[in-house]
Amino acid sequence: MQQHKFTARTRMSELINEDASLLSSISRFGISLGFGDKTVKEACEANAIDCNTFLAVVNFLSEGNVEINETYNNISIESVINYLKNAHSYFLDYKLPSIRAKLIDAVDSSDQSIPYRVVFIKFFDEYFDEVRKHMDYEDKTVFPYVIQLLDGKKNAKYSIAVFEEHHTDVDSKLAELKNILVKYYPAKGTNYMLNDVLFDLLWCEKDLATHNQVEDYFFVPVIEAIEQKTDANL
Amino acid sequence: MNDVSLKIAIAEPSVIIRSGLAVALKRIQGIHIQTFEISSYDLLSNYIRLHKPDVLILNPAFWGIIDLHKLKDDSGHKELKCFALLSCLTDEAIVKLYDDKISIYDSVDHLKEKLEKLFDATNGTAPDETESLSLREKEILTCVVKGQTNKEIAQTLFLSTHTVITHRRNIARKLEIHSTAGLTIYAIVNKLVELDEIKKDM
Repeated sequence: MQQHKFTARTRMSELINEDASLLSSISRFGISLGFGDKTVKEACEANAIDCNTFLAVVNFLSEGNVEINETYNNISIESVINYLKNAHSYFLDYKLPSIRAKLIDAVDSSDQSIPYRVVFIKFFDEYFDEVRKHMDYEDKTVFPYVIQLLDGKKNAKYSIAVFEEHHTDVDSKLAELKNILVKYYPAKGTNYMLNDVLFDLLWCEKDLATHNQVEDYFFVPVIEAIEQKTDANL
Repeated sequence: MNDVSLKIAIAEPSVIIRSGLAVALKRIQGIHIQTFEISSYDLLSNYIRLHKPDVLILNPAFWGIIDLHKLKDDSGHKELKCFALLSCLTDEAIVKLYDDKISIYDSVDHLKEKLEKLFDATNGTAPDETESLSLREKEILTCVVKGQTNKEIAQTLFLSTHTVITHRRNIARKLEIHSTAGLTIYAIVNKLVELDEIKKDM
């Protein structure tokens, strides 16, 4: 068993001091702030979350470089699916709409004489649609497939490898918008609002990329191992 | 090598060498590198099959002698480029089977050169040019933003469709913008088109 950074005895508050980006993972698992001196184990128990799964995900995220050296046994797939679904709803229902609103404000504030608003909105909404399709597919096709698989029913027409092959990244178009703003936007003077949008874009781009990494290098291999076991039992 | 991104898998038992190499690779400028560390052979072939990395950097003495052909066959990834990661004197006959070799004493510049050599040979990437668009490219960009197809652009400007596609590829590379919606923003902001000229698509 490999030694990991965080264990069941680590305090929740320490987790965030060590790596602030874990804040979003903690809330996606459904753990609220105000941990007091609770350890990971205690916080998970209080929220009825599988502690092994929680640790596997936060360690995967905080180690920075992806290590393919472990087969994750004894984790709860349902918890991982819940975690991924919560992440989807965070992006679709909260983060992207908030960036959209900020983007409109920033563009409106910078130069009234040139109507950029409509082109920026068009770009953003096209992108938003793409992300929505991408995540809807996972919610409506991939996760139900996996839940069936856990019941021992393998859908012969589908496999997680099919998903992996078509799983595209959703962060590169956000990087494109960042590029447009940084390189080509005719900003004048200091525009705090524009900077604010950029910070949000950068953070969201990174968040989406790591979210995809959890799917590709954490979730997919676990599911594939289950598929192989199921096939062997048939 | 601008705007290139590579997925590199590092298979090596020593965590210090493995992670050290991953850090060194990330210091290479001009190539966006994502690294994956692998410490057991069973997971290696599985990983390659599922995730199809561009490059595998492998300690050839790890897990006995590895049959690269078999590894590529088993994982169904024949285009995989393989580097031998050498920390000690190794038989040339073994190293010969690899596309190239990396010594643990290589500098970041060495690593960059070796990667460029491997990928320039296959891609023939053009040397860096200026980033600003030529007049012709601006004309084409304007047509694209107005919603014309490649064929229509070719007819309007008396070019072959093939030439139009090449121009479009160069535009995307120079601006680092790949979507039509993104190009539209660029064109409006830089006043190449007026908003009412493209209004019907909005």
